[in-house]
Order: sequence, then structure tokens, then C-alpha cells
Amino acid sequence: METISKEYLLTQPSSFIAEVTHRCPLHCLYCSNPIELKRSEGELATEDWVRVFKQGAELGMLHLHLTGGEPLARPDLAQLIAAGRGAGLYVNMITSGIGLTEKRLAELVDAGLEHLQLSFQDVEEASANHIAGTRAHAHKLTLIPVIRKFPIALTLNLVVHRQNIDRLERFIEMAEEFAPERLEIAHVQYYGWALKNRGLLMPTQEQVERSVAIVEAAKARNQARNHGGIKIESVFPDYFGSYPKACVGGWGRQMMLIDPIGQAMPCHAAAVIPGMSFDNVREHSLSWIWKESAAFNRFRGDAWMSETCKSCPRKERDFGGCRCQAFQLTGDAEAIDPVCVLSPDHGMLAQLRSATEESLPMWRG
Amino acid sequence: MQIDSIPRLTVGCRLHPTEDLLLVPEGALQLGGPAKDILAMVDGKRTVAMIADALLAQYDGAERQEVLEDVVALLERMQQRGAIRS
Repeated sequence: METISKEYLLTQPSSFIAEVTHRCPLHCLYCSNPIELKRSEGELATEDWVRVFKQGAELGMLHLHLTGGEPLARPDLAQLIAAGRGAGLYVNMITSGIGLTEKRLAELVDAGLEHLQLSFQDVEEASANHIAGTRAHAHKLTLIPVIRKFPIALTLNLVVHRQNIDRLERFIEMAEEFAPERLEIAHVQYYGWALKNRGLLMPTQEQVERSVAIVEAAKARNQARNHGGIKIESVFPDYFGSYPKACVGGWGRQMMLIDPIGQAMPCHAAAVIPGMSFDNVREHSLSWIWKESAAFNRFRGDAWMSETCKSCPRKERDFGGCRCQAFQLTGDAEAIDPVCVLSPDHGMLAQLRSATEESLPMWRG
Repeated sequence: MQIDSIPRLTVGCRLHPTEDLLLVPEGALQLGGPAKDILAMVDGKRTVAMIADALLAQYDGAERQEVLEDVVALLERMQQRGAIRS
């Protein structure tokens, strides 16, 4: 039953991001988890996750992304995977690999794991460990041949920034030797912890341009390979763009994120927006939350948009860009995303891009 | 793709149990027409010719050459997208 009139067409969500814990052995300089982490005592129980995975599948969701923190920190991870798969979802796990052994992976694959994403920080060990704030790199390398013994898809991913961007080509060459199904090269975006370390992470214009050329060349040579070509996906840095991205595919259009304590959020960073409150899967069904929750309805449609956005044909493509970024850069969550050349605040990005003075790294605790 | 090639789904790709979709890592491919029936027969054992013959048995009156061409075209499209290997 619709309780409020809606001017927009309600879409069906397809991606279920389950942050099953905020516990993590890594302390990355650009961690995308909220600044305030949820403590393990408040985490959802196994049966809560089992229930919401079923509700997610009933709502039409296709992919379950188990992430964290480090999902391997949950002793019931195999049960969670079995529940997701049993509900009909495609099960992906995003992991640092810390805590993964051949025996544990065999259990997870038996439970129904279909795709594993292993994150890297750099191609060079000392730098990789520095960025992660822990010695994880060597272990990740030894894990890849172990993962390849199992019938699951493998994605390797690298978050790119000034501290590792000059070794991007070497990283891609290393990744190609391992022949994963997918490779993700994502420039860091400045939310959460990355915003704290922005001065340290911001690449130069020239570095960004070079990285784009390197990634495009890698995509072309892999597409040309008929067999065994790696599918390469890349994320361009917002601060160097002229038009905003369709953040999370549009607010409340494709994605639902459930945090460790059960709060349902339209995106990773939504909690930074003042006045946001999130409904909890302990109290409401996913279907109710998707349709009725104030947080999901907050930036649906175009009623909240400035006149510039409302009358712009690009709104059908970018849905008004990123609300969290608009708030973090302008103090107004309804402002035009400053990435857009039509934003009166667009000029500030040029300043922020050039503010690349060396600052001290801040690792997350 | 030759008629004696043995196609198989790339690891991490599978048909949705009820919808006309091929689930792949981080996405889904919409399947139209007989695409789902064709992919359901891709098991790493059947050749392209065997898949076409099995389809012929399901669709009365179709020309074998036409069916073969359709099967090859679909599998090559899927191969381009990384969902099929042979």
C-alpha cells in the first residue's frame, strides 16, 4: 500500500551490500567505512542476516556483496553465504584475504560462494603495507594460486592515489600474470577516511591523465584477446571530472546497503548528511524500507533538485550526482554536485586538486 | 567458435533460476528468445552442433543451418562479454 504520493517511478533494487562487520585487520588510508565504526557487540545475528537475504531476493535483488570491514572476521560467514545463495542471490565476497586459508575457502565455496574480490594496495610490498597500515601484501600474493584452485570468479582490485599511481602499469602487469576474470582499477574518492588524507592521496592532473592512458591500453589489449582476456573496470576520480557520476546508480534506485547493526542505507557515506536517520532491518522488512523509509526517499526523483539540475537533460543519466559529496564540499546536501561544470562551486575543485602538499598519513585505528 | 567447439560458461557465470538472466560477477545479462534454452545446454560436454541439434528437436520446422548460425552468433556474443569460453 502506497502511503505517500510519489512523482517518480519506483525502481527495483538489484544490489545488496551487506557490511557484516566493521572489524578489519587493515587500516587503509582511504577506508570507505564511516568515521564512527559500529562495535561488534551490536552486530546483527546470523538469523537476522538469513531473514534479510531472503527478503532481498523476494524484492528482486540479484547480487549479494558480503563486505565489511573484513567479512572473514565473522565466524558464521559460511552460514551467511549459504543463506544468501539459498535465497537465490549471486554471492560475492569482498576481502583483504587476511584470515583466509585453503580450508576456510573450501568451506565458503561449498556454502555457495561464487565470486571473490581481493583488494591490493600497491604492487610494491613496502608501499602496500604502508598504505594498509599492516603487513598484508605477501599473504595476498600467496593466496591467489590457492583461490585459483576453486571454481569461483576472481576480481583483483586496486585503489589508486598519489602514493601508488606511478606504479599502476606494473600493478596491471602483475595482475595480468594471475589472469583473474576481472580487474578493478578505482581512483580513490574522497569520503570518510580518504577525506582526512586527501592532501596525501590527491594525484596530479598529469598522473591522472597517464593513469587513464594506461588503463585504456590494458582494456584494449585484453579485449583483443579472444580467450582469457581480463574484464577491466575503472573508476575515474570525481575531482578531475566535468560532470557528476550517477552515484550508486542514483539514490534509492539500485542499491541497498545494510550496515553491521542493521541500518539500511542508500549509500556508504549517507550518514554524513545531517538529519539522516536510517530504518533498521530488526524493525522493518526490506520491502517496507525500500518503499517507505525517509532515507531512501530523501533524494529520489527531482523535487529536491536545484532549477539547474531540474531542467538539465543529464538528470536522467546522473540523477543529480553525489549528495554526500555535495554536502561535504558545499555544506548543502541539495546543492549541485560541485563536480558539475554548471555548479557555482565547481571552481573549488581546481583548488583542491592543486592542494597536494605532503601531509602526514592518518591510518584508521 | 566452430561447430565442434565445446563451449562452457566462464567460472562465476550462471543462469538465474527463474528469470531470463545470466548472472555474471557484478552484473546480469538479459536473455531474449531462445538464449536461455541455448545457455542451459552449455555444460562443457556438448559441442555447438549437439546444442543446435537438441534445439532443433524442440523447435519443429526450423532449418538446421539457421539454428546453427543462431547458436554460434549467441555464443560468440557471450564470449565477447567474457561469459563463455571454448
